[in-house]
Amino acid sequence: MTPGDKKLYLFLLVPAILVLLLFVGAPICQSIFLSFHRDIIALPQLKTPFVGLDNFGELLRDPVARHSFLITVIFVATTTSFELLIGLLIALLINHRFPGRGALRACVLIPWAIPTVVSAQMWRFLFNDAYGMINYVIFGVESARYIPWLAMPGTALSALIIADIWKTSSFAALLILAGLQVIPDELYRAARVDGAGSWRRFWHITWPLIRPALLVALLFRTIDAFRVFDLAFVMTPGGPADATNVLQLYGYKKMFVEGWMGYGSAISVSVFLIVLVLAIIYLRTIGRHLMEARA
Amino acid sequence: MRTSIKSRIILILGLFYFMTGVVFAGEPTDIVFLTWKTSQPKVWANLIEEFQRENPGIRVKLQVAPHSSTQYHAIVTQRLKNKDASVDVFFMDVIWPPEFANAGWLLDLTPRFKEQQRAKFLPGPIAANTYRGKIYGVPCYLAAGLFYYRSDLLRKYGFEPPRTWDEMLSQGYEILKGENDPALSIYSAQFKQYEGLVCDMMEFIWSNGGTVIDPKANRSTLAEPPAVDAVSFVRDRIIGKASPRGALNYEEPESLELFIQGKAVFHRNWPYAWSIANNPKRSRIAGKTGVGTLPAFPGHAPASALGGWQFGINRWSRHYDEAWRFVQFMTSHQSQRTLALKAGLAPTRRSVYQDLEVRKKMPHLKAFLPAFEKARPRPLSPVYQMISQELQRFFSRAIAGRKSNIPALAGVASKKIQKLLELGAMVQR
Amino acid sequence: MKTGLFRKPLFLAATLLTVGFSLAPFLWFVSSAFKTQTQLTAIPPQWWPAFSMEFFRSAVLHYGIFHYLINSVIVAGSTTLVTIFLATLAGYALAQLPRRVSQIILMGILTCAMFPQIAIVGPIWKFLQIMGWLNTYQGLVLPYVALTLPLAVWILTLFFQQMPKELEAAALVDGCTRLMALVRVILPLSAPGLFTAAILCFIYAWNEFFLGLLIMTDPLKQTMPVGIALFQGEHVVPWGEIAAASFITTAPLVIMVLIFQRRIVTGLSAGAVKG
Repeated sequence: MTPGDKKLYLFLLVPAILVLLLFVGAPICQSIFLSFHRDIIALPQLKTPFVGLDNFGELLRDPVARHSFLITVIFVATTTSFELLIGLLIALLINHRFPGRGALRACVLIPWAIPTVVSAQMWRFLFNDAYGMINYVIFGVESARYIPWLAMPGTALSALIIADIWKTSSFAALLILAGLQVIPDELYRAARVDGAGSWRRFWHITWPLIRPALLVALLFRTIDAFRVFDLAFVMTPGGPADATNVLQLYGYKKMFVEGWMGYGSAISVSVFLIVLVLAIIYLRTIGRHLMEARA
Repeated sequence: MRTSIKSRIILILGLFYFMTGVVFAGEPTDIVFLTWKTSQPKVWANLIEEFQRENPGIRVKLQVAPHSSTQYHAIVTQRLKNKDASVDVFFMDVIWPPEFANAGWLLDLTPRFKEQQRAKFLPGPIAANTYRGKIYGVPCYLAAGLFYYRSDLLRKYGFEPPRTWDEMLSQGYEILKGENDPALSIYSAQFKQYEGLVCDMMEFIWSNGGTVIDPKANRSTLAEPPAVDAVSFVRDRIIGKASPRGALNYEEPESLELFIQGKAVFHRNWPYAWSIANNPKRSRIAGKTGVGTLPAFPGHAPASALGGWQFGINRWSRHYDEAWRFVQFMTSHQSQRTLALKAGLAPTRRSVYQDLEVRKKMPHLKAFLPAFEKARPRPLSPVYQMISQELQRFFSRAIAGRKSNIPALAGVASKKIQKLLELGAMVQR
Repeated sequence: MKTGLFRKPLFLAATLLTVGFSLAPFLWFVSSAFKTQTQLTAIPPQWWPAFSMEFFRSAVLHYGIFHYLINSVIVAGSTTLVTIFLATLAGYALAQLPRRVSQIILMGILTCAMFPQIAIVGPIWKFLQIMGWLNTYQGLVLPYVALTLPLAVWILTLFFQQMPKELEAAALVDGCTRLMALVRVILPLSAPGLFTAAILCFIYAWNEFFLGLLIMTDPLKQTMPVGIALFQGEHVVPWGEIAAASFITTAPLVIMVLIFQRRIVTGLSAGAVKG
């Protein structure tokens, strides 16, 4: 590489990095800066004093935040495990060659391509307490037994989880499918010659080889699920009884509704740190292995 | 040579004159009006057009945000706190003026909106727009919690509209027994965790002689017996009994839907519901409804929460005068009359209630007037949004759990609200 | 792998179940757009819509849906073009730089993408205000570009890294400059990667809601998801109109997915797993 080349590469990088710095980098810095200050937009008289880690300390003591954290963890744990399971099944299915495979693949992709605003409205309609399809499927015309899914704390969170699983299982399926496709057919053929049944073939060939892909899917999904916002914002805005008040929604309410900019930023920074730690674990466990494989 | 210089000067002057003339006549001032998406965009558009016809020098540009008060609030505050001069006039919920005025976001209208002008409006909305002796907004239309009922069913069973909540329940159960319709429920109201819940629950508390905040002492009274008892009543007797449990997810549209489908005997809503409930194209119970004041607990007076929307002028606007002319026009007798007749909105000017056509076409408005005069504001505080979030959390937790420990929850919420009140008081000193 | 599984009933059942799981909820919702108001909330449900176009008429006339649609096309289209252009340049450079350097830069870019969006919306707004870009297309496009760049750069860098170095070297020997080599040799070969990145960016910009809501208050500039959020009126829940609008918003994406599903799948595989 000549010095001229090096200059050229740096020059090529500049526009992208500039846009990123302006619209993401600087805002992130500002958000982190705010999280160390007390900034209440409705009360400019109080100025914006530096408060050190007070906002984070407050966050640890805030029972609402703890509750939100718990809900978010439940949301992340259930959605990711179901999405991986369903994603794996779909991926195994699509990996077969059969007529109409393309059409099936397209069907599976559709939920993922639908705007979250639309799918959230759709699930509100399906979960309706008076004329929702889900009640009809379970209880038929006996409307007296219909469950008001979004009106009860336990079921409201479940409804949110179901909506998320529906929307993003296909994404998990795609990532897993990618792992499946790199497994050479010869392995299966050899196994079959040796007389291995389909279950054994799955356990001894497929499973070990798609584990990295599963982990990738798991981490992509965990990172996204931790930051869930749109879905809850449209479907329930947090209620009833804070049952769907996921961390990002709580942060939004603190910042944009109540105007606690510092405290709200602290919530976001905390979510970021959690996600970052998860991402580092992800890179440690699989990244190294994959990078070696590539090199 | 000389003449040509002279003529040139004249020409230039003439051109200059011509150009400034163009500037003055052809380039009207734009003012931006930020509001939410209405259900009758035509009515509003026509009013704005009429204003522009009367004021050829001013052009109004409309910007729209979601109708949800909370989401709209987020957008307005985002602009105001950043001293955004690109908005001149905006629509304000009745709970915002103290917050906005304290933050210095609103133009002080005291010199323009004179005392004798204010006297022509109903007192509730004027009080809501007043902060520390100065007025910051002009009320456009108002609302108050009203009690709708099925007049046909009440007549059939020989009932007068209920005066107490218990009476409502006993009448309701009798009607339910007689009608034997599993889809019918007694009461439909708004119990979702959102701003509307605060209104509905405060009405229960007020009608039990309680309060949420004692404004004189700046003290939270949420954990005191009248409030706790009223909240317990809602949990034990209303949710899942008189109202379907689904009401815990109802805002105004869903609860109104239940009523106009003929699936509820009684219904709490704002004035706008009257014309929809009586519109045969949308309602199955058109002509079979009555409206009045909400019930109360025995020995106490009924109460309804004050709602409604006002115009505020952005402190950072560069067009105070044009903006003020627009606000004056939109809140004039004539405009309020149009909004009442065409959009069913309740006027804030007394004179509109006396208007012949309004009285003829909307006789119910006159009947609402007592409720409007007595409507009670939600806490007037610069930190109202924070208080409201705590109240929503408390009310929703209290009524959504079948076995919630209401006194304990009220204690926690009350302490938090007390802290917020002190925070609000700190800046007012 | 090719198996005889297709003939087995279990396999058929699984296929049907997958299709049902993916499509049924959406089809049911969208079918309500073709119904009448009374059909919409009927129990037992009316399976077959009356094919009344009333809700579509209302969505077009009263809610001005096509306006939102045009804005969405403009915003999502320009976002995609700009992102792909910048990501191509950056990805090419990163693929050429030493692994150690490129990995640090890539990690930095990805870390940016992990930050919760609601926290950066306020500062972005402030910046747009200073530039006078609120309620302008570029005011929405540039933040979307920034938010889609990480994924696009990631995918394209991996694609370029996989290109055989000999090809480029041959082009250089033939007297091409590096940029000419990029345009003439590498880009045509990495079309699948470009394509995938483009589709992902487009879907993101087409669907993004919260930033759009805050930045675009001018009804002439609002995008589709914002428009749908504004449907929720003060008086009734306009399910029919929402369903009609959802149909109109989603149709282009569904068509895109149907046409390009193979490319989406290959691109994602390369992007996620080989990284």
